[in-house]
Amino acid sequence: MAENAGLENHRIKSFKNKGRDVETMRRHRNEVTVELRKSKRDEHLLKKRNVPQEESLEDSDVDSDFKGQNVTLDAILQNATSDNAVIQLSAVQAARKLLSSDRNPPIDDLIKSGILPILVKCLERDDNPSLQFEAAWALTNIASGTSAQTQAVVKSNAVPLFLRLLHSPHQNVCEQAVWALGNIIGRWCFFRSAVCVCVCVCVYIILTSACPGDGPQCRDYVISLGVVKPLLSFINPSIPITFLRNVTWVIVNLCRNKDPPPPMETVQEILPALCVLIYHTDINILVDTVWALSYLTDGGNEQIQMVIDSGVVPFLVPLLSHQEVKVQTAALRAVGNIVTGTDEQTQVVLNCDVLSHFPNLLTHPKEKINKEAVWFLSNITAGNQQQVQAVIDAGLIPMIIHQLAKGDFGTQKEAAWAISNLTISGRKDQVEFLVEQNVIPPFCNLLSVKDSQVVQVVLDGLKNILIMAGDEASTIAEIIEECGGLEKIENLQQHENEDIYKLAFEIIDQYFSGDDIDEDPSLIPDTTQGGTFNFDPASNMQTKEFNF
Amino acid sequence: MELNDANLQSLTEFLRKTLDPDPTVRRPAEKFLESVEGNLNYPLLLLTMLEKSQDTVIRVCAAVTFKNYIKRNWRIVEDEPNKVSDQDRTAIKANIVNLMLSSPEQIQKQLSDAISIIGREDFPQKWPDLLTEMVTRFRSGDFHIINGVLRTAHSLFKRYRHEFKSNELWSEIKLVLDTFALPLTELFKATIELCQTHAADVNALKVLFSSLTLISKLFYSLNFQDLPEFFEDNMETWMTNFHGLLTLDNKLLQTNDEEEAGLLELLKSQICDNAALYAQKYDEEFQPYLPRFVTAIWNLLVSTGQEVKYDLLVSNAIQFLASVCERPHYKHLFEDQNTLTSICEKVIVPNMEFRSADEEAFEDNSEEYIRRDLEGSDIDTRRRAACDLVRGLCKFFEGPVTAIFSGYVSSMLGEYAKNPGENWKHKDAAIYLVTSLASKAQTQKHGITQANELVNLNEFFVNHILSDLKSPNVNEFPVLKADAIKYVMIFRSQLPKEQLLQAVPLLISHLQAESTVEHTYSAHALERLFTMRGPNNTTLITPAEMAPFTEQLLNNLFKALALPGSAENEYIMKAIMRSFSLLQESIVPYIPTLIGQLTHKLLLVSKNPSKPHFNHYLFESLCLSVRITCKANPTTVSSFEEALFPVITEILQNDVQEFLPYVFQVMSLLLEIHSNSIPSSYMALFPHLLQPVLWERTGNIPPLVRLLQAYLEKGGASIAGSAADKIPGLLGVFQKLIASKANDHQGFYLLNSIIEHMPPESIIQYRKQIFILLFQRLQSSKTTKFIKSFLVFINLYCVKYGAIALQEIFDSIQPKMFGMVLEKIIIPEVQKVSGPVEKKICAVGITKVLTECPSMMDTEYTKLWTPLLQALIGLFELPEDDSIPDDEHFVDIEDAPGYQTAFSQLAFAGKKEHDPIGDSVGNPKILLAQSLYKLSTACPGRVPSMLSTSLNAEALQFLQGYLQAATVQLV
Repeated sequence: MAENAGLENHRIKSFKNKGRDVETMRRHRNEVTVELRKSKRDEHLLKKRNVPQEESLEDSDVDSDFKGQNVTLDAILQNATSDNAVIQLSAVQAARKLLSSDRNPPIDDLIKSGILPILVKCLERDDNPSLQFEAAWALTNIASGTSAQTQAVVKSNAVPLFLRLLHSPHQNVCEQAVWALGNIIGRWCFFRSAVCVCVCVCVYIILTSACPGDGPQCRDYVISLGVVKPLLSFINPSIPITFLRNVTWVIVNLCRNKDPPPPMETVQEILPALCVLIYHTDINILVDTVWALSYLTDGGNEQIQMVIDSGVVPFLVPLLSHQEVKVQTAALRAVGNIVTGTDEQTQVVLNCDVLSHFPNLLTHPKEKINKEAVWFLSNITAGNQQQVQAVIDAGLIPMIIHQLAKGDFGTQKEAAWAISNLTISGRKDQVEFLVEQNVIPPFCNLLSVKDSQVVQVVLDGLKNILIMAGDEASTIAEIIEECGGLEKIENLQQHENEDIYKLAFEIIDQYFSGDDIDEDPSLIPDTTQGGTFNFDPASNMQTKEFNF
Repeated sequence: MELNDANLQSLTEFLRKTLDPDPTVRRPAEKFLESVEGNLNYPLLLLTMLEKSQDTVIRVCAAVTFKNYIKRNWRIVEDEPNKVSDQDRTAIKANIVNLMLSSPEQIQKQLSDAISIIGREDFPQKWPDLLTEMVTRFRSGDFHIINGVLRTAHSLFKRYRHEFKSNELWSEIKLVLDTFALPLTELFKATIELCQTHAADVNALKVLFSSLTLISKLFYSLNFQDLPEFFEDNMETWMTNFHGLLTLDNKLLQTNDEEEAGLLELLKSQICDNAALYAQKYDEEFQPYLPRFVTAIWNLLVSTGQEVKYDLLVSNAIQFLASVCERPHYKHLFEDQNTLTSICEKVIVPNMEFRSADEEAFEDNSEEYIRRDLEGSDIDTRRRAACDLVRGLCKFFEGPVTAIFSGYVSSMLGEYAKNPGENWKHKDAAIYLVTSLASKAQTQKHGITQANELVNLNEFFVNHILSDLKSPNVNEFPVLKADAIKYVMIFRSQLPKEQLLQAVPLLISHLQAESTVEHTYSAHALERLFTMRGPNNTTLITPAEMAPFTEQLLNNLFKALALPGSAENEYIMKAIMRSFSLLQESIVPYIPTLIGQLTHKLLLVSKNPSKPHFNHYLFESLCLSVRITCKANPTTVSSFEEALFPVITEILQNDVQEFLPYVFQVMSLLLEIHSNSIPSSYMALFPHLLQPVLWERTGNIPPLVRLLQAYLEKGGASIAGSAADKIPGLLGVFQKLIASKANDHQGFYLLNSIIEHMPPESIIQYRKQIFILLFQRLQSSKTTKFIKSFLVFINLYCVKYGAIALQEIFDSIQPKMFGMVLEKIIIPEVQKVSGPVEKKICAVGITKVLTECPSMMDTEYTKLWTPLLQALIGLFELPEDDSIPDDEHFVDIEDAPGYQTAFSQLAFAGKKEHDPIGDSVGNPKILLAQSLYKLSTACPGRVPSMLSTSLNAEALQFLQGYLQAATVQLV
C-alpha cells in the first residue's frame, strides 16, 4: 500500500538524528579528505617508474669509446647538439645513463644545464628512432623526479611530442612515450592526494599558472591533447605483456583523482578497455585495472552509474575471492565505492551475490581487509530494509558483531557504523535480531573509546534500539545497564562535546530515570497580577472567515 | 575613549569598585563598565592597566575583566553588529602574546585563556602568525615564557580531544603539526636533557617538570584525532623518553603533602594516558613499545605508596593494564602464573585495602562515601580501578585468578579471625575482593545479575556475612556491618529466599545503628528486597512473611529518621514508602501515629526544601497512607484532611514552589475519594486555584488541571450554584492553556470536564465563545495533537448535547461551518485519534451525527454522509494513523496526551482512567448498527441506497458484519 510506504518513510525520517540523516548515512571511505596519517596505501601506484640502468636493449649500438668514460655535463650538452648522429646519440645516451643511476641522479643539474630543449628536440627526429628512444628515456627519468622536475618537462612542451611518438612504428619508442606520459599524468595525482589541502592549494596555483593549455591540471591537459585513443589502441592481443602493464598503469593514473574527476567522455572511452582488461590473467594488469575501477567509482553517483552501465560489475564481484590479496583489496575498494551510491546502485552489486564473499573477507587474516569489508557492509545496512535483510540472511551479523568486539580499532569503528546504520534503516524485527545476537555489550564497550565520533554513533544506535523496542525498552535498558553501558553513558553526560552530552542526557532521562523521578518541576516565578484569567475570546475575535 | 591617563585613572577607580563587597557600590560600577565596553580602545585600556598599573590587585582585576570581555564580545555573530572594532582586534592580536609571556603567572593565565578564546574564532585564518610567534619563543630558553606558550597552546589545542572530525578541523591540526610538531619535539628532548643537567636543582626541576607535563598534554591533544605522520616517524623519540620518564624518580620532586598530587605524579599520569591512547587507537604502530610500557607501569604500581596523592596516577595506571589485558593479542603478556600471581598480590590486593582516607569518609562524610560505594561514582578510585582489572583479567583467566584470590581471601579471613579488633580491615578487603570477583553484571533494579560460578556466594554468606549481621552489638565494626549489608543487597538475586528472609529481621535491627552508612545501607537493602519479584508477578517477600516484623520495621524506620545526620535521608524515606506499599492494609493500625510524624516532617522540610528525592518519597508515603486507609474505609478521608490541611495551607500561603505540584496531587487524591459532594473547605480554596501566577509555572499545570477536574466532577453543581461568578475565571484558565501548543491538551481535559459535569444552563452563555476560540486556534496554528483533542471534544459535546446542537452551534458561528469541519477535519483526521476511551467517544459522537442529525439527510451536507460513515468504519478497523507532518517534529510535545502526563508525578497518587460514556455503550459497532437501523426505519430505502452507491466494498463488508452482530437489517 502506497500509504504504508509513506508511513515507513516518515518513520525513518523521524528517527533521524542530529548530524546524521538517511541521506548522509552512506559514507565514503574518507569523508575527511585531509589526511593526518602517513599515506602508505597505494604506494605501488604512486611509485614513479624510473627505467633502470640495466636495460640492455640497444646498448650494443653505443660507441664503445664513450662507455666507461667520465663524461662531463658540458661535453654531453655540446655533443647532444652535434650534427654527427653517432656522437649525438652517445651524448643523449650518456645523459640517460646519468639519470638512471640508482641514487640521486643529477636531475636538477641537468635541467639547469639547459638540456631539456635539446632532448625535446630529439623527440622530433623520426629519422632516428634510437635517438628518440634515448631522449624519451632520459625525459621519463627527469619526469619521475620531484614535482618541479616533472613540471620542467611539461613546460618544455614535451607532451605533444610524446603523444606524437605514440604513433611511432617502433614499439620501444611508443612504450617509452607511454612511460613518460604516465609519469606526467601521475605526478599531479601524487600531490593532490598526499599533501595537505593548504599546501595543495599553493601547488595548484603554481601548476595552473605553469601548465600550458586550457585545463586546470596536467592530466586534463594531456587528455585534451588526445592521449586516450592512441593509448587504448595498444590494447590488442599482440601487445607484449610488459608494454600492456605500462599502458594499464597509465590508465590507472588517468582515472585517479576525483577532484575534479576525469572528463565524462574520457571515462566513457576508458571503461570498455577496463571491461576487457579485467579478464587478464596477469596479476599486475588485473590489479591496476581494478584500482582504476575503484577510482572511477569514487567520483560520485554519476560515475558509479557509468561503471555499472559498462556491465563490469558481474566480473568485478567474483574478484573478491581472488587468491591474490592485492586483487581482493582493490576489488573490495571498488565494490565498496559503488555501494556508497543510491539504493538502486547498491542493489546492482547485491544482485551479483556479493554477500557470499563476505564470510571470508570478514575472517581474512589481514585486518585492513576486515576493516574495508565492514565498511562495505555499513553502507548496505544504511540501505533499504530488503538490503538490511540481505545482510542478515547472509549470516553476516554475528561476524560484524565479532569484529565490533574483537577487531582492531579501525574495524571496530566501521562495525559501530554498520550497527548504528542498521538501527536507523532496519525494521523492528531486524533491530530485534541484532539484540538477540547480543550486540549490546560490545556496542556499549565502545562508549569509552577515545573518539568522539564513534561515541556519538554508538549513542545514536543505542537510542534507536531503545526507541525501536517500544514497550520492551526496559529490557534493553537492563541489558545496557548489566554490561556496564549505563555507567558509561552516565559519564558521557560530562563529555565536553555538546552533542554527546546532550545525547547521553536524553537517553538517561528517557530510559533510565525509572521510578526514581529525578526531575523537579521547573518552577518559573512570574509576576502577573492577581485575580483570575479573563475569559474573553471576543477581544481578539477575528473578523475574517474561518477556513481550515 | 581616548587611550590617555585620565581614562586609565577613571577606569581604575571603577575596577576597584567592582571588588567592593557592598552591592550598592559594586553593581553600579559593573553596570558602568558594561555600558562603556563597546567603545573604541576599551580593551586596550584594560591591557594597559594590567601591564602598567602599580597595584597588583588592579592588574589582576583588569586581566579578569579583559578575559570576560573577550569571552562576551569577540565572537562575530551573523546579523549582529561587530562588538569589537577592527582596530582594537588588530591591536589586541598584535600585543597579547608578548604581554601574556611577560606577565606574572596569575595574569598570564587569564591572558592565556583570552588568547585561546580569540584563537577559537580567529585561528588560523585570521591569526596566521600566532603559532610561529609562539614557536619562536621556544628558543628563548626562559622556561617562564616557554610554559606560558605551552599553556596557551594547550588551551588552544585541547578541543582536538573531543570535537568531531571534519575537513576544517583536520586542516587546522595539519597546519598546527606543520609548524608546531618539530619544535615541540626538539623542546621535549632539550627539556629532558636539562632535567639531567639540573638534577640537583629543585627549583629548576619544578619548572622543567611542569613543562614536561604540558608537553605531554599537548602530545595527547595532537595525537587524539589520528596518528599524525610526524609522530609516527618520531615515535621512537617520544616513546623512549616517555618510557624513561615513567621509570624516573627524583627525591627532590617527592612532596610531603599526602593529598595533593606532585609534579612527578601528574606527569606520569599523563604519560599513562598517552600510552593508553596509543594502545587503543594506534595498536599496530605501537605494538613494539607496548610490552615495555606494561612492565614500566606495573613496576610503577608496585613501587607507589598508598597516599591519596598517588590515586589518580595509580588508577590511570591500573586502567591501562585493565584495558590491555583483555585484548586477545596481549594475552601472552599476562598468562604466566607468576605474572598473574604477582599482579594479584602486588597490584590488586594492596589497592583494595580500606585506607584511612576511606575510614574518614565513612565516619565524617557518609554522603560522599555512600555515593561512591553504592551509586558507582567511584570511577577514579583505586578500588574501582583494581576491581576493573580483576574483571579484565577474568575474561581470559577466570579460573587461575579465582584460585589465586581464593587463597588470599582465606588468608585475610584467617588474619581477621586471629584478632578481629586489630585486623577487621582484612575482612573488609576480603569481602570487597569476593564481590569484585563474583560480580559480572549488575543493575540497580536487581543487583548482581550474573555471577562468577567459581565463587560460592551462598557459602560465603553463611560462613562470613551472617555472623556479622547477627552480632548483637550493631555498633561494633560498623564498616564490616555495612559490608555485610551491602553483600545481601547486591547479591539479593543470587541468594536463596530463605537466606533473604533470615536477613530481613537482622537488617531491621541494623536500622538502629549509629553509623549513618550502616543504617542507610540497611534501609536501602530492605527497600531493594521489598521490590524483588516472586512468582506470579507478586513480591518475593509477602506481607504475610513480614507480619512478625511489621511493627519493628516501621518503628525502626521512623526512629532512624531521628538519628543524627539522617533527618532527610532519602534512602530511609524510600524504604518507608516501599514498606507501606508492600504491607498494604497491615499498616492501617499504625497510620494514626505515623501520619502525624509524616506531616510533622513535611512541615519541617517545607521551610527549606533541599532534598528533592527525600521530599518526593515523603509525598509518595503520604499518598500511600491515604490510599491504603481510605480503601478500607473511605470515611477516614476527613481525618487525613484534618491532619494535612494545616500543612497544605501553610505551603500554599508561603508559596513553596517545589511542593505545589505535590500538594495539588495530594488534594486531588483526597477530593476524589469523596462521593459526589464537595466539602466547603475545598470550595474556599477554589478561587485561589484560578490565580494566574500558579498557571505560569509549567510544573503546576498537569496537577492543577487534574485538581480542577476533581472539583468539577465532585462539585460541578456547587460551582454553578455558589461560585457562578468564578466560571469566567475557570474558562480563562482554559483559554490560557489552549493558547499554548505545549499545554492545549490540558486545556481540553479541563473543557471536557466542564462539558461533562457542569449543568448545561450554567455554561450556555459561553458555549459559542468557546467554539470561536477553538476555531481561531485551528485556523492560526493547528497541530496534530490539537486536532486529536479537538475531535474528542466535539464528539463528547455531541454525545452530551446531541448532534443537532453541535450542528446548530457550528452553523450559527458561520454558515456551512458544520460541513467544513466534517469535510476538512473530522473525515480526514479522525483516524489519528488514539486511546480506547478517546476512540469510543469519537465513535459514539459520529454515530449520532450520522443518525440523529436531520441536516445530514436533507441538505447539501448529505454528500458527506457516506464519507463520514466510511471514516467511522476506518476508525474501527484500520490501524491508527500516527504520522505527524514534518515541521511538527520538533514542536515541544508531551508524549502521549492521554490522561497521564510526565512531571513530578506521584506514582501512588495515580488517577483512574475516566470514561465519560461508561457502560451505557458496550460496543460502539453495535450502537452504529442499531442507530443505522433506526434511521432506516424512519426513512425507508434511503440508507441502503446511500450505502450501495458510494461506500467502498471493504467498508461495506465490515458494516454488514456489524449489522449481523446486532441482528438488524436495514430497510
